[in-house]
Amino acid sequence: MPCSESVLACPTLPAAWRSRARAALRALLALALLLAAGLAGAHKASDSYLQVTAAPGQLDVRWDIALRDLDVALDLDSDADGKLTWGEVRAAWPRIEAYALRRLAIEGCPLASVGRGLERRNDGAYAVLMLRSPCTLPAGAPRISYGLFADVDPTHRGIAKVQRAGQEVALSVLEPTAAMAAAASKPGSATERASGVASGIATSGSTALPSADARSRTTSAAGRWQFLLEGVRHILTGYDHVLFLLCLLLPSVMRRTPPGWQPVERLGQAVWPVVGIVSAFTVAHSITLGLAALKLVSLTPAFIEPAIAATIVLAALDNVLPIFPVRRVVVTFFFGLIHGFGFAGVLAELNLPRADFAWALLQFNLGLEVGQLVIVAVATSVLFGLRRWRGYPRIVIGAGSALAIAIGVAWLIERIGNVSILPL
Amino acid sequence: MVAASATLSIAAMRSLQGLAGALAAGLFLAGIAAPAGAAPITPTRDDEVIEVLPASAGNRGEDRDLRKRLAARPDDAKLATAVARRYLEQARESGDPRFAGLALAALRAWPDPNAAPDEVLLLRATLEQYLHEFDAAVAHLRLLLARPGSERQSQAWLTLATVLRVQGRYAESDAACRQVAGAEIYQAACLAENAALRGETAAARRSFETMLAARGLPVSTRGWLTTSLAELEERDGRAGAADAAYRRVLKLGPDTYAAIAYADFLIAQRRPAEALTVLKDEARTDTVVLRLAIAGTLARSAAAPRDVAEMRERITLANERPEASVFHGREQAMFALVVERDPERALALARGDVARQREPLDLLVLAQAAHASGRREAIEEARRLKASIGLHDRRIDALL
Repeated sequence: MPCSESVLACPTLPAAWRSRARAALRALLALALLLAAGLAGAHKASDSYLQVTAAPGQLDVRWDIALRDLDVALDLDSDADGKLTWGEVRAAWPRIEAYALRRLAIEGCPLASVGRGLERRNDGAYAVLMLRSPCTLPAGAPRISYGLFADVDPTHRGIAKVQRAGQEVALSVLEPTAAMAAAASKPGSATERASGVASGIATSGSTALPSADARSRTTSAAGRWQFLLEGVRHILTGYDHVLFLLCLLLPSVMRRTPPGWQPVERLGQAVWPVVGIVSAFTVAHSITLGLAALKLVSLTPAFIEPAIAATIVLAALDNVLPIFPVRRVVVTFFFGLIHGFGFAGVLAELNLPRADFAWALLQFNLGLEVGQLVIVAVATSVLFGLRRWRGYPRIVIGAGSALAIAIGVAWLIERIGNVSILPL
Repeated sequence: MVAASATLSIAAMRSLQGLAGALAAGLFLAGIAAPAGAAPITPTRDDEVIEVLPASAGNRGEDRDLRKRLAARPDDAKLATAVARRYLEQARESGDPRFAGLALAALRAWPDPNAAPDEVLLLRATLEQYLHEFDAAVAHLRLLLARPGSERQSQAWLTLATVLRVQGRYAESDAACRQVAGAEIYQAACLAENAALRGETAAARRSFETMLAARGLPVSTRGWLTTSLAELEERDGRAGAADAAYRRVLKLGPDTYAAIAYADFLIAQRRPAEALTVLKDEARTDTVVLRLAIAGTLARSAAAPRDVAEMRERITLANERPEASVFHGREQAMFALVVERDPERALALARGDVARQREPLDLLVLAQAAHASGRREAIEEARRLKASIGLHDRRIDALL
């Protein structure tokens, strides 16, 4: 699956239930955007957009290319029905990257793909290529040779914004040169490797584009952190994990006393229980994530997904009415084991590289923890600020937990009965 | 733009964008680093449609087949011109300039115009006309027409006459019109059009009316002849006759050119609400949205803010290419003048525009901007330009 190189734009949802929930939300957003795009439907000439960010030792390029232009060059619309589906675009992505990368050279900076995305602009959907080079852009105007679509649309232009650290953004318009495109259309030939030179820029001879092999090697090296980002993304958009964490955090700025909930005095009093709970959750889901990823233990999503919903219901219930005979840390640990299996489902879909499996797994897990820390830090700060509010026990803990219970129950029913209840 | 910040690596920005999902759920409020006017798409299913491609002129498979055949034999002139003509038609129908680019690409086997076959050269010039590269179009047409035996190239003469007319070179246009042979009506209409522009109004009107009296005239021919007549009456200050002629054209069937011209007439007559009605079924090309924005602003219509915002966005996007404000100078000047109420900017844009094209509307916009700016030297400049071309237009006289 080409998604193995993805950072953000690939579907990474573990099971039909969850994906439907998110799909519903995204479908709504997409619909809104489509409507906006439909209203606009601007007719402008074909442009691609390059954002070049140059720092010492590292050059990043974000390159947005219109899908309808790519379709002319690469026939993305494989069933020729006039509609580009995600499946068609995803299947064509390696060809898109190969086509584009042969048509862009920045002097002294061999570019490798490190990520991808899709973007809706005023005049349609764009493929987003994330490129990187471990290089320092030479001083002076950057020598960019550009050959995109020279063979398809000579009126096409690349709009480049070059940002060097601490300087104004420099704008330039790149005209596709036929020489570069001609060289690029002969894959594997000597001219291709030398196309940076063939495009007529005066070079020191070092700007030859990497050959296909070299490029895929550098891709895996440069995309070194992509699974970290996958992990961050998964926890931030995994509403059930987030909801579970929030349930655990709601009472963390309060103490249970015989007359009822009392706010803690100092931040420290809230932080330590939070650290304990988060650590327990982390250790537990890391264990099951590892076990499942190594294929030592396997549990069907038909069990795991409803079980995750159940953990939300129980955790929220415990906020309102203590139901657990043991300390919350222990309960959190057990529930964390269940969530770990949920994460593992995503991991399986990510198609981790076999060679760097341990490394990728570690990254994904670290990403989860980073995302989790963000959520915990934000939520704890907000809750700590609210703790002295009179309504905190009743509204925040009470109503908040009740809401979580309701959502959890709905998810539970959805996931057991395979039906759709929530719009979200 | 946050995205331009050098302190954030692009990968980090993408992870920020990953937050968008969380944002959608209302969990966080954080800045998202995305280009202005762009929104990330995060598809969830393989069958999710993320882009609808523009309609094909015919069959999409046929398009692709033609493209493939051309890729195999790029120097097959017959095939190349067939593909280019197909794209040109699409460009004209949809107002989408990308198709003109695709058409030019189909002709890429002949980078040297001297070596290009006649039909390739003609098509290239026609595309240049479409892309407002008038000087290049004239040069290529003259090259073609200097070839032996080319005096029978009526289409090339007619195109040359049109381009020269757009440039305000009426005498040269006349000479080209006279070379148009074959269908007599084209030569007559070509000459009558120039006569009307020069102010030989009575003769031109008679000429158009004679042509229109012919029986069995194709509807499209009747349409453009009547449009020419309407424009003649409008320039001559006969609003009633112009109005009637425009209405006759639009009764013949949908006609985008005539609808826009009539809308401009109605706007000038301070009947903006009617202009909105005339345009309501037109595809939202840049030229149409511009008129909707102008008429909507004047009529204070409910849709005006949307159309204005959209036009402004389109202009901003187009201007990411520096040459765009020259390309679309006329439209941008109209927008600046009426909607943005910025006569200085309108004047600068209109000056850039008339350096390239000099149709009556271009000069009218220059005169309006000059008038609004109150600059004596700008008014004088517009008056001199009008005189040097020899254009007769009472709308402009009223302003200068």
